[in-house]
Parts: sequence; structure tokens; C-alpha cells
Amino acid sequence: MSESTVRKPPAAVQPLLELRDLDTDIALRRGTVHALDGVSLEVMPGETLGVVGESGSGKTMTALSIMGLLPPGGRVSGGQILFEGRDLRSLPADEVRRIRGVRMGMVFQDPLTSLNPTMRIGVQVAEPLRVHEGVGKADARERTIEILRRVGMPRPDRIVDNYPHELSGGMRQRVAIAMALVCSPRLLIADEPTTALDVTTQRQILELIDDLREEFGMAVILVTHDLGVIAGRADRVAVMYAGRVVETAATATLFRTPRHRYTEALMEALPESAIRETGAHARLYSIPGLPPDLSRPLAGCRFAPRCRHVTDECRISDITLSAGEHQHACLHPVPTTPAAPVTLPAPVRVEPAPQPAGPTAGPDEPAATSVLSVRALVKNYAAHGRGLLRRTAGQVSAVAGVSFEVGPGETFGLVGESGCGKSTVGRLAVGLERPTAGQIMLDGTDLAGLAGRERRRMHRQVQLMFQDSYAAMNPRMRVDAILAEPLEIQKVGDGAARRARIATLLDQVGLSRRVLERYPHEFSGGQLQRIGLARSLALQPRLIVGDEPVSALDVSIQAQVLNLMRDLQRELGLAYVFISHDLSVVDYMADRIGVMYLGKLVEVGPARDVVRAARHPYTQALIDAVPSITPNAAAARDGITIRGELPSALNPPTGCRFRTRCPLAQEICATEPPLAGDGHQVACHFPLRPESSAAPARAGAVA
Amino acid sequence: MVRYLITRLGQALVVVVIVTVIAFLILHLLPGGAARATLGKEATLEQLAAFNHDMGYDRPWIQQYGMYVQRLLHGDLGYSYQLNQSVVEAISQRLPKTMVLSLLSTLLAIVLAIPLGVIQAVRRNRWPDYAITSLSLLAYATPIFFMGLMMIILFSQVWPILPPEAPQGFTVAEVLADPAGLVLPTVTLAIVTIAVYSRYVRSAMVDNLNENYVRTARSKGLSERRVVLRHTLRNGLFPVIALLGMYLPALFSGALVVESLFNFPGMGQLFWQAALKRDFPILLGVTVIISIATVVGALVADLLYAAVDPRVRLRGSTS
Repeated sequence: MSESTVRKPPAAVQPLLELRDLDTDIALRRGTVHALDGVSLEVMPGETLGVVGESGSGKTMTALSIMGLLPPGGRVSGGQILFEGRDLRSLPADEVRRIRGVRMGMVFQDPLTSLNPTMRIGVQVAEPLRVHEGVGKADARERTIEILRRVGMPRPDRIVDNYPHELSGGMRQRVAIAMALVCSPRLLIADEPTTALDVTTQRQILELIDDLREEFGMAVILVTHDLGVIAGRADRVAVMYAGRVVETAATATLFRTPRHRYTEALMEALPESAIRETGAHARLYSIPGLPPDLSRPLAGCRFAPRCRHVTDECRISDITLSAGEHQHACLHPVPTTPAAPVTLPAPVRVEPAPQPAGPTAGPDEPAATSVLSVRALVKNYAAHGRGLLRRTAGQVSAVAGVSFEVGPGETFGLVGESGCGKSTVGRLAVGLERPTAGQIMLDGTDLAGLAGRERRRMHRQVQLMFQDSYAAMNPRMRVDAILAEPLEIQKVGDGAARRARIATLLDQVGLSRRVLERYPHEFSGGQLQRIGLARSLALQPRLIVGDEPVSALDVSIQAQVLNLMRDLQRELGLAYVFISHDLSVVDYMADRIGVMYLGKLVEVGPARDVVRAARHPYTQALIDAVPSITPNAAAARDGITIRGELPSALNPPTGCRFRTRCPLAQEICATEPPLAGDGHQVACHFPLRPESSAAPARAGAVA
Repeated sequence: MVRYLITRLGQALVVVVIVTVIAFLILHLLPGGAARATLGKEATLEQLAAFNHDMGYDRPWIQQYGMYVQRLLHGDLGYSYQLNQSVVEAISQRLPKTMVLSLLSTLLAIVLAIPLGVIQAVRRNRWPDYAITSLSLLAYATPIFFMGLMMIILFSQVWPILPPEAPQGFTVAEVLADPAGLVLPTVTLAIVTIAVYSRYVRSAMVDNLNENYVRTARSKGLSERRVVLRHTLRNGLFPVIALLGMYLPALFSGALVVESLFNFPGMGQLFWQAALKRDFPILLGVTVIISIATVVGALVADLLYAAVDPRVRLRGSTS
């Protein structure tokens, strides 16, 4: 792990890579998008440069421009790409290709699609060696096995003959890294290398990249949207917005004293910041509006329309990066005096934590008052064998005896990694699927006992909100039809009443009436999430199950949607089941949190206690793996690191399902630990701390 | 793998049975019937009845079908009174020749369609793509008999370099001994196939060239040629393989026209003449053979698919 030590290379050292005034255009049918506008960056040998920004900021385009991998229609239209002193734009194509193949390597975001599905792992990894270095078949195979071993692949001598689909996402990303490193490049570009992975896997991969950087003495450009990932790993950071670098500084400096108002706003929009500054449940700062359209001519500071500190001058004058170590392109930078970081101007509403509308977070409230009560829920799926016969080869245990209650107006956060069964619990709770065993009670009525019309009426009480609202809407339906549909299905009111209801809904989610005549593809991610929320609110439910409702959104938009969900909860007394892999978002939103692992709830308790005084080793590992922007947060994490991969749910481990990866596991863990405790329950034979300990600090927590 | 094969063969058998039932019903329920067709206009009602009785045509159709299947299982497809030979004999004389024609035209089509499709995909939305697309559409829209006629006019009348008639040899060897005669029928039959295949190759290649793994391949500094040929082509050819199996019926219907046009004594011509003369045993026999060929073709295509795509490859070892 690269600590926040700033390595200052001697002045004589030449940058490994230098971008000078890089312009990149992408010609699309609707016009030319100026994806990059005068981007200048330097990467020193052996250093990690973090490039951070939201979608459309140009961070990926920067990486692709360097690698010459721009999408169709894209071209670098100006500037220089100096690699080891030579401008790649003026070298002959064959030589540039060789440089890119041997001296640079790139790792992409989605490991599931970035490997050739019909080529053996070994062949793919060895290809640069064979092509660029003319290495023979046998030698190449040996070196491939060696590099696979160094990226931590188990049994590399067998993996070489496997195909990508036989490996998990994390393992495929290791293969991709091996492929990028096989020729020992001087520069590794990692474009969102862990965004598609679970946090515990993310941590393993980021650590691997760090280790390899040192081992190979190469430089790394780490491109990500995740400030936390950057904070823990990069030596220097460049913040991008709308095709430009707006701020660049040493990592520690940037996170301690951001200067550009965009950087500042971005950090404030993180749920993590809201919790740290003012305690849980404060309102998030959300950056209003959307990034500019880069196909139009832009003048002045590109962040000006969304900035709290904007003046007329910002809109006219072209602002360039300031000189020095800490460069920023802002006319009204954050003052450097560290004394006043919290005294922000008026628009920031730091409201006192609102009390939940329902009874105050009481996990041991009697079940009668629960909106949703889930008892000993089990869901098994039949697993089919290969071939057309598809005979049942066993059962996938997706949910194995989960029980929890959600009170009125309460937010219950369900957190866990992919494959833990959290989404299945959500689908079961709204009645999209029937449980194999167990009970689901809505408002004290058992769902299983209902049929036909009663069952349909019951569905009004609970609605689902999706991660990808675009995929969850019929692309050929206009928004008015989308919002009217639940009302029609439930036969609520007549046409006029429905129109009135839809108008109210739009007001509630903060959309104008004009959206009614438009189609889903015309909206941005945040707007779609608002429409999705409006649709789930149409029937005035008491409970909304949100399955990763903000996971696909940029930080600034995520803050808008989270605030909206909060506001509506207060106004309408809604209860939420908030399902997410993102612990910091759940921590911010939830009153109580349940942590799931491989179909089981391993820990349930008040949000603060679960996150700050975790009792289950898995919860602690999850917390430790979440990248944080807090300086020194990394140092506090010497706790629990889990290695390896999630076991198959087809034959889950007996007893405690986490024991195969748990550093504390003993023989007794082969027997199943019950979920024990009063308010803060844990299913572990060796809980990290007794229940009473009221979470003094998060550091040094683990014995 | 063995179990997969058995399952697939079982499915294939079901399809063949259904095809024979349908073909049998259609042909036997047609007005006119086999008796009139065989005995001619002069035959008396008694003669017709006697013929029908002898042939078992007066029994319930289910019984007739049973008899038919029983004979079929013994390799007896019936007897054509019009050709005065058994159906098996008639087909076995012509089938190899049709296979030669189909195989040659398919090979020609594949050899030309793959590069054309690849060129289109690599140069998409530029002039080579537009040109090939236009020609494909033209070829696809032209009726095959018109295409054949134009071929004859162009290459044996206006510019007489090729014979207008297919080889008349009795055996495959004799047919192959006259390669010049095979050129026009083969090319005519291939043209439509090229148009169809190249479209499939193009769209599959375009899809694949936009895949992330292609970007990864480029990031390794590979030449564009290697990216296209080593990485993309294999994945782009899967749809063509699937198409090969499904394309057999279309190929046969093409052969039907081409063989008549070029007077090539193959299955197509046999079927065509039998249809004109209501030679039911031949029609039924050819239909059954073609349906079996189609089902086997689809099966072979699936197995081929499994052989080239590791994701569908059926293994017992790794899990």
C-alpha cells in the first residue's frame, strides 16, 4: 500500500510521460465532442498518478489517448504525448505500436468482457511476448506461468490452459494485469481496475498493483471515479472536470486542502464526509445540475454553472492551471488556512439530524408494529447441470434462514458482496419470488396466505427501486405511461385522478411536468432514478426496497438522490430496505444495518454500532476494505484482511459460512453460530467485541 | 458428450418423424391421388380402385403411414412407376451430384463471403462497405432463375466462354470430368449464399470489433491485421457456423431451380419433374431425405459450434 508519503523525484529526473496541451475530439453523428481540451499531465518514473473525475470528465479518454485506443471517430487533434522524451504523435505507427505493446500496459474496467472469450489464458497473456519480443512458444509459456504466479493466481500452470469464463471476476482482472505486465512495461495505466469488483477483491487488486509497481519499478496511472481509491494509493492526483484538469497536487495535500471548488464539492458530496463532519444523517452536499455538454463551445470555468462561489468573471475568463506544486484552475479557490475548512458559505445546509418519522430505531420493538417482518427466510434455486438434459445437479442456497424487522419510517440497510443473497432477499420481500421456506409479513399479514386480489392489494404497500432504472423501464413508453401504469394495474382512480397523482409525484421527486412527454433514453442517470422513485411512490407504499439505487450514479448525482430519498422518508413516513454493496452509503442512509455473507445474516444492529464497532470478523473485513478519503484511515486498518474467493453457494461451507476465509476460525466454527445478542446481534463464535462496548473508536479495534 | 449426442439424435429423430407425417399427409390428401397420376386419364374407375387396393391406398391413412414407416425402416422408400425404378435407386443416382453442386457452391460462398464480410466490417460506413452492401442486396433481391438466365446469356451467348448446360455425366466422376460445365450452376447457386453469409459475417464482425476484448488486444500493441484475424475473426464466425446447418433447405430450393435451368440431373431436377408428374413416391422420398439432411446439418453445426466456442464446449473434466 502506498502511504501518503510524497516522493519528490530529484529535479533532474525526466518525466516518464508528459502530456502537453492534449486535445481529443470524438466525431459522433450529432456533432463533435471535445472530450479533452488542453490536458497537461506529468508522470514521473515509479510514481502513481491518480486521475479522478466523474463520468464524462475525460479521465478515461486521457488514458485511451495515451494508448491510442480511442473509440471510432475519436482522434487526438492537438498537443503532444511525450513518452520517454519522444512524442508518440510524431513517431511512425509501427514504432508507436511497439512502444505501447512493450513499454506500456493497460488494465481495463470490466474483467468479464476484456479478455478474448475463445482464447486460452496462456495464449492471451503470452501474445505480447511472442509478437514484440519474438519469444518462442515454450519460453513464452514459462514466462506466462511465472507472471501469473506473480499476480497471485493459484495453480498458474493449470490456469494457462483455461478459458476466461472459467475464472471469477477478480481472477480475470489478475489475468488482465499479468497480460499488461508480461513485457515489464515502464508505465501501467489502470482504468477503473476495480470498479466492477467487490470491495474485498478491490482491496486485493489495488494492493497487487502497488506491490507490482514497486517490484517492476514502473509508473502507474490510476484512473478512477472513486476518491477513496485514489486517496489510499496515489502519490499525486489530477482532478478532471469536463475535459480539463482542474487541480493537481500531491495526494495528501489535495485531500487535506483541496483548492478548486469542484474538488471541494466532490469531497463534500461523499456520504463519508457528511458522517465525519456532522454525524450520521446530516444532509449531503449535492452539486446541482449536470456537467456541460462538450459538443458545444464553452467559455470560462466549466464548473461555473454548478459552483457555489461563481462570479461573473468565472463565466468569461479562460482560467489556466496555476503554477507550482499544487496547481488549480480556480478564480476563487478554497482558502489555504486549514483553520476554516468547515465554515462554508450559505448554500450548504447542514441540518440537524432529523428524527425518523417512526419510533426511534428500536431493533427490539415488538413485531406487531413492523412494516416488514422476515422470519427464517430460505430461498434455494435448483442448479442445472451442463448439456441439454439440464438435470438438477443440486441446490444453490441463495438465502439461508434470514430474519429481520423493519419498523415504520425506518431504513434497514442490507449490505454484502455480490452473491451474498441481498438482492434475493429484496425480491422475496416485494413478492417477486416465492420463498422456499420462511415467513414474510407485511404490516402483520403473511404474504404466503394471500392470493389473487388480496395479494395484489398487498403489493401496494411495498415497491421496488432498481439500480438501473433505464433497464427497468420500457423504452417505448413515455414517462406519463410509465408513471400511470402502477395506478392502472391497481385500478386506482379515474384518468383525471391519475393525472393529478402523477403531477404530485413529479413534484415530490423534483421533476418538471415537461418530462411526461419524453422517453426514458432522453434522461440522465440521476433523472431516471428520480422517475424510478416516482414510480415506486405512485401507490403510496409504506415500504420501498431499493436494490443498489445509487450504485450506478456519480458522486454528485448520488448525493442528490440520497437527499431526495431522505426527504421523502421524512415527508411520507416511508420505510426503506436499502440494499447496497457500498458500506459508506448504507452507513449514511440506514438506521440499522444487516450484513449478509453467502445467504446468511452475520450481523445486525444499529448502523453506528455495526460500522464503528463491528462484532463479526467479516463485517470488520468489509469495513477495512472500503477505501476512504480520510487521511490516516489506511493506517488504522491493520485489522482483518480476507483472502481468497467467495465459496460457491452450490455447496456452501457447513457451520459458519465465513469460516473458510476467516482468520479467527477454529474447530467449533464447523457448528453453526446462532445470531445472538439484543440490539446488536452477531452470528459468530468469536465476536470481535462484546455487545455492550459502545464503540469508542474505530482504530485498533481488532485484537 | 455421449449423452449430449444421444439427446440431440433423439430430438433429430422426432423432427424427422414429424416431417414424414406432414409430408405423407399433404401428398396423400391431395386431390387426384397417386392412382390417377400413375394410370393416366384413360383408366377406368375399376382400374383406379384396383390400383388403390393393391397399393393399400384405400386403407385408413394411419395404417398407410404405418406401412410406409415400416418400409422406410427397411430402406424402402417406394417405387416410382413413372421412372420405373425404386425411389432409393433414383435418389442414390442423383443425390451425389447434387451434393457436389451444393458443396462446391457453399465452399465458394464461404471462401468469398468471409473476406467480404471482414472487409466490410473493418471499413464500415466507408465506400468498400457501401459497395459490397449494395451488391449483396442486389444479389439477394434477384430471383435465382433470373440470375441463372443472365449468367447463361452473358457467359455463353454474349461472351461464349462457358457451356450453358451442366455436365450430363451419370456418375460423380463423370460430372467432375467436365469442370467448365459446373462453373455457371455453381456460381449461380453461390451468389445468393454469398450475399447472405457476407451480411452475417459483417454484422458479427462489427459487433465483435466493438467488444472490450478487442480493445485489450489493441492495447497489447498488436497490428490491426492480427487483431482482426487472430482475435476477432474466430468469434465473428460463430453465426456463420450456425447458419451453415440452417441453410441446407435454402440451398436445396436453390438447387431445384438451378438444376432445372442448367439441366443438371440432380435431386432438384428429380424433385421438380416428380412434382410436375405427381410422382408421389419420389416427392415423399426426396422430402424425407432432405429433412434428414437438414436435421443432421443442424446437428453438425451445433457440434461444430461447440468445438470452436469454449463457452459452449461440453466438458466432463473441469467445472
